Amino acid sequence: MRALNTAATGMMAQELNVQVISNNVANMRTTGYKRQTVHFQDLLYETLRRPGSPSSDQGTTVPAGVFIGSGVKSVATPRIMTQGNLTPTEKSYDLAIRGDGFFRVQLPDGRTAYSRDGGFELDADGRLVTKEGYLVDPQITVPNTATAVSINAQGVISATLPGQVQPQQLGQIQLARFVNKVGLESMGDNLFAETQGSGPALTGNPGAEGFGTLQQGYLEEANVNSVSEIASLIAAQRAYELNAKVITAADQMLNAAGQAFRG
Amino acid sequence: MNNTLLIGLSRQVALQRELDVVANNVANVATNGFKRRGASFAEHVIPVARGDHMTSANRKLSFVVDQGTVLDISAGSIEKTGNPLDVAIRGNGFFSVQTAQGERYTRNGALALGPTGDLVTMDGHPILSEQGVLNFTAADGAISISGDGTVSTQQGVRGKLKLTRFANPQVLENIGQNLFSSAVAGEPAGALARVESGALERSNVSAVAETARLVEISRAYSSLANLMQRGDELRRSALSRLAETI
Repeated sequence: MRALNTAATGMMAQELNVQVISNNVANMRTTGYKRQTVHFQDLLYETLRRPGSPSSDQGTTVPAGVFIGSGVKSVATPRIMTQGNLTPTEKSYDLAIRGDGFFRVQLPDGRTAYSRDGGFELDADGRLVTKEGYLVDPQITVPNTATAVSINAQGVISATLPGQVQPQQLGQIQLARFVNKVGLESMGDNLFAETQGSGPALTGNPGAEGFGTLQQGYLEEANVNSVSEIASLIAAQRAYELNAKVITAADQMLNAAGQAFRG
Repeated sequence: MNNTLLIGLSRQVALQRELDVVANNVANVATNGFKRRGASFAEHVIPVARGDHMTSANRKLSFVVDQGTVLDISAGSIEKTGNPLDVAIRGNGFFSVQTAQGERYTRNGALALGPTGDLVTMDGHPILSEQGVLNFTAADGAISISGDGTVSTQQGVRGKLKLTRFANPQVLENIGQNLFSSAVAGEPAGALARVESGALERSNVSAVAETARLVEISRAYSSLANLMQRGDELRRSALSRLAETI
């Protein structure tokens, strides 16, 4: 019976849906997290009767054909790259991006990853690193004698060095943009990698045309909306139950057919 | 003699097919832009045997055949997603999608930018505007889509989404992937369709209605199985009683 398999594809799709929702909810408090959604598509159809085919030799045609579908598949889990809220942290190396762009992070193997999580720290050598200890690209070193470190909206880091009245510029943080940022690959650890789908990274200074600006002492919250996630969860759960009902109905029908002539 | 069995069987086959249609609707309850199909059946009258020597006239027999699965193009609920590249159609119209097989149609407006900057569906098929495939570069910045389907960026107006209307939606054939094909050319939707950006049209499958249909199919099927069993018992007891008299 085809209905059994069709309903099974529906249940698998809703299972994936719940999986994605639970990942969103689990990352509600993850800095720079962007929520995911699931997109579904219908599967192939079997055409038993084609509309427009002749139904008599008098020129009459079939108005509506017979199409039997075979279920659903999941096609994409794109991220919704909207801006998350900014929360003040009062830490000098916490940065939030307002607008478009990603921080560039140098991975230990030399590749570049991209992140919206601007919760940076200094390592033992005074270099600006992520919470994982990966270097921020371009590399910026803050001397251990520096005080009053400030980062402006354009990403310029300046600090007061001993014996100098004027703050000194230590470097500028750069951002990367993509034609299709939804095409970025999630690597975990709040990092994204460039893919064929995202297109090449375009690097620029914060505040340049098309790039967002930086806000020191703030972090970007996840853009997960708890109310809408719960609503999606309820919808997914009900859809799952409904598919299970179809399986029960198909099973009952098979049972009735099997018992019809028990003699 | 076997007519009860055969007529019952024809209805059971039709019910199984109806269940297949309902199962597909239910499986796609969360598919954006999905349009449900409903099964419709017809009576198939078997020509009667004509014989003057019979004591009573031969009665006509009606079997069930499936006539069609009617596409229900009523609108699904429109849900706000906040993604500027999600567009929903209000009214009668379909987006045009360019595939290797030719132009196809969809109500699913979940769009994205492809690796080369083309505006595509989630499958990577380019979406057609009245000016052809739309291509964006990083210099374009944020993309916005207005109510009549005009796509504009910081560089100005880039095109207008092509919306096609079908006077008779039953000519549309499902080909999967949320796409429809049509042998009959559609016409521009004009003012009959408006688009809303930042929103998606959900499936038009109603969970309650499909559940009701499910119960109905299941009950009809088991009552037919019952009927056929009674017919079988009738014949069996007739045979045994007739055998007693010998």
